[in-house]
Amino acid sequence: MPSARFPIPQGTLDMLILQILSLEPAHGYGIAQRLLQISKSVIQINQGSLYPALHRLEQKKWLKAEWRQSETGREAKFYALTAAGRKQLATERDYWARLAGAVQVIFDEGK
Amino acid sequence: MLKQLFNWLRLRHLEQDLGRELQYHIDRRIDDLTHSGLSEAEARRQVTLEIGGVTQLREEVRDVWLTRWVRDFAYDLRFSARSFRRSPLFTATAVLSFALGIGATTAIYSLVDQVVLHALPVREPQRLVVFDWNGVTASVNAFGTYNLLSYPLCRDLQQQEQFFDGAFCRAATTISLSTGGDHVPTAAEVVSGTYFPVLGIQPTIGRLFTNDDDSVLGASPVVVLSYDFWKTQFASAPDVIGRKVLVNRHPMTIIGVAAPGFRGLDVGEVPSLWIPAAMSAVAIPGFDQMLNRRVRWMQVFGRLRPDVTQVEAQAGLQPWFKAMLADDERRPEFPKITPDRRQRYLGSVLELAPAAQGHSPLRRRLSQPLWVLFGATGVLLALACMNVAGLFLARGSARSREIFTRLALGASRGRIGRQLLSDSILVALAGGVLGTVLAPIVIGALIAFLPRDIAATALRSTLNPRLLLFAVLVSLTAGVLSGLAPAFLAGRRSLMAALTERAGAAPGGLRLRRTIVTAQIAVTVILLVGAALFVRTLTALMAKGPGFDTSNLISFSIDPVRNGYSRENADRLIRGIHEEIRALPSIQSAAIANNPLLTGGSWNGQMTIQADQRISTDREVHLNAVSPEFFSTLGVKIAAGRDFVDRDTLPASEGGLCVAIVNDAFAKRYFNGRSPLGAHVGLGTGPDTKAAVEIVGVASNISYRGVREEWEQAFFPLVSCATSGGTFYVRTRGSRAAAIQSIRRIVHDADPTLPLGAVRTLDEQVSRSLTTERMLAALSGGFGVLALLLSLVGLYGVMSFTVTQRTREIGVRVALGATRLATMWLLLRDALVMTTLGIAIALPSVWALGRVIESQLYDVKPTDPTTIVAAAVLLCSTTLLAALIPARRASTVSPVDALRLE
Repeated sequence: MPSARFPIPQGTLDMLILQILSLEPAHGYGIAQRLLQISKSVIQINQGSLYPALHRLEQKKWLKAEWRQSETGREAKFYALTAAGRKQLATERDYWARLAGAVQVIFDEGK
Repeated sequence: MLKQLFNWLRLRHLEQDLGRELQYHIDRRIDDLTHSGLSEAEARRQVTLEIGGVTQLREEVRDVWLTRWVRDFAYDLRFSARSFRRSPLFTATAVLSFALGIGATTAIYSLVDQVVLHALPVREPQRLVVFDWNGVTASVNAFGTYNLLSYPLCRDLQQQEQFFDGAFCRAATTISLSTGGDHVPTAAEVVSGTYFPVLGIQPTIGRLFTNDDDSVLGASPVVVLSYDFWKTQFASAPDVIGRKVLVNRHPMTIIGVAAPGFRGLDVGEVPSLWIPAAMSAVAIPGFDQMLNRRVRWMQVFGRLRPDVTQVEAQAGLQPWFKAMLADDERRPEFPKITPDRRQRYLGSVLELAPAAQGHSPLRRRLSQPLWVLFGATGVLLALACMNVAGLFLARGSARSREIFTRLALGASRGRIGRQLLSDSILVALAGGVLGTVLAPIVIGALIAFLPRDIAATALRSTLNPRLLLFAVLVSLTAGVLSGLAPAFLAGRRSLMAALTERAGAAPGGLRLRRTIVTAQIAVTVILLVGAALFVRTLTALMAKGPGFDTSNLISFSIDPVRNGYSRENADRLIRGIHEEIRALPSIQSAAIANNPLLTGGSWNGQMTIQADQRISTDREVHLNAVSPEFFSTLGVKIAAGRDFVDRDTLPASEGGLCVAIVNDAFAKRYFNGRSPLGAHVGLGTGPDTKAAVEIVGVASNISYRGVREEWEQAFFPLVSCATSGGTFYVRTRGSRAAAIQSIRRIVHDADPTLPLGAVRTLDEQVSRSLTTERMLAALSGGFGVLALLLSLVGLYGVMSFTVTQRTREIGVRVALGATRLATMWLLLRDALVMTTLGIAIALPSVWALGRVIESQLYDVKPTDPTTIVAAAVLLCSTTLLAALIPARRASTVSPVDALRLE
């Protein structure tokens, strides 16, 4: 798949998932759709890495999951942020803001 | 780690869940794609492309659940289990080997743990110390086992608050107890008021002793029950508090029940109740010396302050102790002793020893034998491990093709090694489970070797968490150890060499297996020699016997003083019973002794002998007081002089004369072969000891404390010069049961409330006194046989493997004209080399181990050449037999078949 989009930086997928789920609980496919939208415009995400990431986040207790009816009427596994996940998202968001800021400062100095 | 273990357990559920989740994703995606115009096949292809293969995805998620190595290990175990199901005989042999080793080790460890290692269930037991008087005491009397001090000294030590958070003392005794019905001999502990508070024991119900219960002599008739006694005798009735029980016929009030699990300070003598020391005159009838500083009868314990070490406390105590000695020596009632003895008395030191396990003569007696047996089981387990390692090596060589194919396909050597290790760990765990199931039975059998009265109260054959943990650790260690060799071997061999080898010609770690078998033989030699030594010790002791004829001889004890009799009345009662028993037609003769024989204890003291010159015995003489006919009843020869006669037994006031009979050993040590008759002796060694008792006879040596004993003994007639006795020795005529029946009736008629204790035949008594020796002989013998079997199996395995491997070579030899005998010799020589080498390696260890067990032996040296040669011959012959079967097979190899094997 040749593309001008750049590959997703290491470890950012977790953050993206947390971000998506911070809006509302969603099932794997829903998250995938959302990721697809993002990836169409900005970055390239391998759909295959979504599920290991979801299970990893669940294991870390940042997400909780339950089976319930989806919009099509079929049962789907819905993921939602836990309190710990919310805290983690805040931490990561803060980290990224600071990193981006720092990088910007370095570039600005070079001008 | 725990999380992963949990995940592993619900793996199936997780897998299903994931399957559903992925299916949902795929179905929805295909739906969407077909809606946007793709054909279904096209859509499916697109989905697969997007998610990159379902199987791979599932693998990745599994990695999240389990982490890599846990998952690999789980697969390994599953793979191992499957492959074991395919070779049940192999698996059974390996599991049984492990079960045997682990079961035996766990069982012996259980006893070691209970008798030797187990700390008291009290608050911070490691801070407890026991006091010991090292030097010369000025005691006027002492009774009990060891570490004996007096009650006033215990009170003194309670004051040493700069070193101790309290001190307490205790003495074991047996009381006659009635809780309403019969008077039953019952174990009790006489304790100071500080006992429970310093130990930190809480009551189950009621209250425990405090200092108030131990402040005024004779003023606190109260007892505390043990939890077990409360449960069995009172059915855990909550209203026992305030009830009265009769202790040696004195009513005493129950004030509380101690915490469950607390069984006193002595594992070998578990008390049913506790009595305050202030009531010692009741607990120990006739004892009125509690406040005498020089009567030693209690063990004193202290609890070290957290900031004080044992060494500091011991050093810090000495100034006070010296002052106490000097002070005491100036008191008017201090006994008169020689200046030299006085000097040594003043030089005495009060020593401290750790006492986290309490105080126990049983531990003293059993700890060395138990450690010896524990060592032997450890060796047995090592043998089992070696056997399993040998089995695995053989299996490994059969599987070498599979293993090398896996290596060729890219498995790492570490991965293959881990697979092999998981094999052995799985087998070891299975063996461990089986062994643990068997362990309680083995422990029960072990306890059966010990005298029943001790074992019943003190030792348990149930499993506890400590024991289970031990079994698991041992199993894992055994599994790893026996898996190491095959795993190591798998990692070492060259892949290329292996794949180009001819089928069936893999060396299979043959050299390693031969080394293992050699080591097994060496270890077996050690065990066999040890077993032979213990068996010879036992047979020597049984052949020696107690020095008198035990057939038709029974003994029993009564203790009227404990039932409230005065000394005189007790004497009269015993004398009456004696007369009646002697008159029975079923009785040949009957006698009484002050102290029972063959129970491990004795009455002893140093003596002064007045012959040509006045000398003191250089060590304590074992003393006893007996009635006339004692020697003739036992069948002991009076070698010179005369036996006691009735006149000797009269009280001094009625013209009784105190005389003495000494034994051969006494005459030999102190009279140098001259006749001791006519010489005079006295008890004690002080300058003012009167040596006024004439020696009137010399008896041949008999066993007093135990069968091993060859010691100086002196006997006095009962009553005239010693207190009364209560142990009867009766030689029966005809039916023993009838005689015992009649005796019971006589005692019952004399006093129905008088308990009849320790009714046994002397054969029984002899065998009781040899329990340790019997346990050592039986167990080490059993271990020796098992070890021999294990190494024979090992050797047989290696030899048959060699034959299979060398079939071609043997075929060629036969084709070239080798005889059957020559072919057999080819293999037997192999076995012989391993055996001889094993024996040669073992000999130095036999010598070294001999020093350890020397003190347990009797009449045989640990380096006894006959024993060692016999063990070597036994091993050589059995190993040759084991090798003969494969060797015969080799000799029947037909050259044509062998060459066709290619």
